[in-house]
Amino acid sequence: MPDGSSHQNPAPADAGVSRRSFLRTSAVVGAGLAALAASLKPLMEMNDFPTAERFMQKYYKEMTPADMAKVLKRIENEVEKQYGIRPHVRDLKPMDGVQFVYCLNLTRCIGCRKCVHACVAENNQSRTPEIQYIRVLKMPDGSLDIYKAEHNYDPAMVPEKGFFYMPVQCQQCEHPPCVKVCPVHATWQETDGITVIDYDWCIGCRYCEAACPYWARRFNWTKPEIPKDRINPEMSYLGNRPRRQGVMEKCHFCIQRTRAGRYPACVEVCPAGARKFGNILDLKSEVSYILKNKRVYIQLKEELGTSPRFFYYFDV
Amino acid sequence: MIQATRNYLTFLRRCARLACAGDWRYYTWVGALAVLCLLGLNAYCKQFAHGLVTTGMSDEVSWGVYIANFTFLVGVAAAAVMMVIPVYIYDNEELHDLVIFGELLAVAAIIMCLLFVTVDLGRPDRFWHLIPGLGQFNFPASMLSWDVIVLNGYLLLNVHICGYLLYCRYQKRMPAKWFYVPFVFIAIVWAISIHTVTAFLYVGLGGRPFWNQAIIGPRFLASAFTAGPALIILAIQVVRRVTAIAPQGEAMPWQGNASGVKAVRQRAATLDDLDSLVRYLPEFASVAKETRQAILPDLRVLDVAAGEVLLRQGETDKNTFLVLKGRVVVEREESGRHRITRSAGPGEQFGEVSSLAGTPRMATAIAEEATQVLSVPADTLRKLMKASPLNKIIRARMAERLMITDRALMILRNIVQVAMTINVFLLVCEVFTEFYAGGLHIASSKYLYLGLQGHHALVPWIWTAIVFNLTAMVLLVLPLSRSLKWLNVTCVLCIVGIWIEKGMGLVIPGFIPSPLGEIVQYTPSLNETLVCFGIWAFGLLCYTVFLRMSVPILQGRLSKANEGKPEFGSGGAGGG
Repeated sequence: MPDGSSHQNPAPADAGVSRRSFLRTSAVVGAGLAALAASLKPLMEMNDFPTAERFMQKYYKEMTPADMAKVLKRIENEVEKQYGIRPHVRDLKPMDGVQFVYCLNLTRCIGCRKCVHACVAENNQSRTPEIQYIRVLKMPDGSLDIYKAEHNYDPAMVPEKGFFYMPVQCQQCEHPPCVKVCPVHATWQETDGITVIDYDWCIGCRYCEAACPYWARRFNWTKPEIPKDRINPEMSYLGNRPRRQGVMEKCHFCIQRTRAGRYPACVEVCPAGARKFGNILDLKSEVSYILKNKRVYIQLKEELGTSPRFFYYFDV
Repeated sequence: MIQATRNYLTFLRRCARLACAGDWRYYTWVGALAVLCLLGLNAYCKQFAHGLVTTGMSDEVSWGVYIANFTFLVGVAAAAVMMVIPVYIYDNEELHDLVIFGELLAVAAIIMCLLFVTVDLGRPDRFWHLIPGLGQFNFPASMLSWDVIVLNGYLLLNVHICGYLLYCRYQKRMPAKWFYVPFVFIAIVWAISIHTVTAFLYVGLGGRPFWNQAIIGPRFLASAFTAGPALIILAIQVVRRVTAIAPQGEAMPWQGNASGVKAVRQRAATLDDLDSLVRYLPEFASVAKETRQAILPDLRVLDVAAGEVLLRQGETDKNTFLVLKGRVVVEREESGRHRITRSAGPGEQFGEVSSLAGTPRMATAIAEEATQVLSVPADTLRKLMKASPLNKIIRARMAERLMITDRALMILRNIVQVAMTINVFLLVCEVFTEFYAGGLHIASSKYLYLGLQGHHALVPWIWTAIVFNLTAMVLLVLPLSRSLKWLNVTCVLCIVGIWIEKGMGLVIPGFIPSPLGEIVQYTPSLNETLVCFGIWAFGLLCYTVFLRMSVPILQGRLSKANEGKPEFGSGGAGGG
């Protein structure tokens, strides 16, 4: 009760009372600090505390070549320390006069998921928990309604009669919604059409994951784990170098291969020849031929205006 | 300058000391909240070390209960404006005292919002990438960058307005209008914007048909103006209860005496009395010598001992009192509870409102110590108030009281009533559009309201919310909710209903089914839930401490004038 209580609590007049109140205050403060320390204890379980160097690292586009060289060296050291293998990390730039396009033949795809696993191996994706960039949808013949798709099909033999298979991965949109929503410019589109992520700049808000209409983005919900003997040492900064806990990743058309003149791993591994990849600005390329000559090709969710660089087509 | 800084530090120190003092109820409440905060901190440390795998979220449902709470609380913060608009635009008197409570709630809610966003980040150590100038700020393209600006801006605006008004009240100084009124009007627009921006966060995503609807923005505002004022009603009722100075229905010591001023020594006033008044009320100096001489016969000087009653609630006499020496506490009884509305020291007035209006006394004034007051009849006061400086100060001080009337609560009830009706109407519009037209894009709505392919985790929740909201709406329309008990029930229904509808009921179904048609359900993990409880506890703790400090300031009991005197004891405000 506010009124009159000043009379009930006499002011600390003698030393005995003030000593007692001092002891009581220190007991409360001490217990509080002990409880605070106890609640902070789980931080001790952290084994990947960011170093000052990593904490202060600059944004990709603001790094000078010298900065980048230093960072690449550091990444090589970190990978070597963690996985016991010296990687070769590069920062490959887009090539002039190149716009990558992907074409996928739905008539040919047999749903074997070899692309899924080749992708995991090539791009140093976490094995526990396993992160996959490609999701193959098993669809009943006659419909492109993805709500009818089966995601976790597991028959003894593929393909199954009455179904076709549609692998979905990052569609490398010309108007990517994920890039627009990122609050810190951690993901952007390069001149060759590939949307990339600076894994060291991403804050892990997952707004891009919510924005993506193709469910192409993956988040590192915990520290990624890759067996030492499964590391692919040929790495690039914006591509397949090992990621850390709490950042986004996704398909980047195997930037470490395609910017060095090779095909993506999924194209190479496909046993059915369903996957075609190339430069749309090169009129003699396979993809140019397909887009010119196939009567129908499909851009997934065309109505959203994202304009994917990933085209599905049929042999008709 | 140095003196001003020292004064301000003294103010902060006294506020801090006040926050640490209270009765056993206050300590129990604050202690329980502190324990919950620590549990939440512990859970967050686990998440910080091991990653967001400790939550129930997945790549399919990549936002969960953190963002749901964030969305709800942005609404609560925005709703503070519903108290500000009636007071600053329509000059409502009843809500005037309570504006500060609304704004303090906004501050606490924004603190919770910022915490909920922070715990949702995968890399909280990289928060500086979000700071404009230091990091890379994707403004104006990213709605999240807008949210960073509007939330922090709104926090600063409200901290400035509350802090400035409270400090002025503490100093018993008139706030400079140019220093806060422009900010009040900016804050009104800003409040609408924080919630609109948060709605646009969802609305702007073309790949999520459940969110990609223009009606989400208006729905957010309607639900915010329901849940926010409902929360303020509950908070105010808690404040009213814990600031009552006697249990409900119990008579105060002075009650039951014969009416009228007894045991009071009266005498005619002299010019010396008026001169001593000028010392504490410099504005009185503007009253000319002749005027003073002329009014002298009307004035009386009263000397009373501590505990004596100077005027009684319900009585009708016409005098205003100006304190010459000592201190008078003014208390009001409403719904069986006594509460301190004002504390007047030398140079300050009491009894002026009913005196000028000729209405029955609204409160009882009791001398806290041996006190000398100047009694001024209403007509004389009117004459005196022709002098402009005196008129200004007396009018300004009329507002310096903490009434928290039942009528103020009824005004808030009207706001909740209208907002809830609009909210239900907008929900009906949305549900009709979705289900009548049909099509593929309604899968999320089907999942939410009816269940999809055997998955119906959210169905019981959303129907609970709908039942709560409809019941609340009916109760709000009925006269039943004019009784405070039923009003409390209604407010709880509103808050729970809206929390479900707009938190879990909006965020989660947006992710189900996934853009590739897969159904993966979401349940918050224990660790995630503990983090949420921790943040709510921290927010309530902040609000409790804010109220604990601001109630005595608004009552005039904590002021610069009584600096150095022993702090009044335990009790006072608590709640939240």
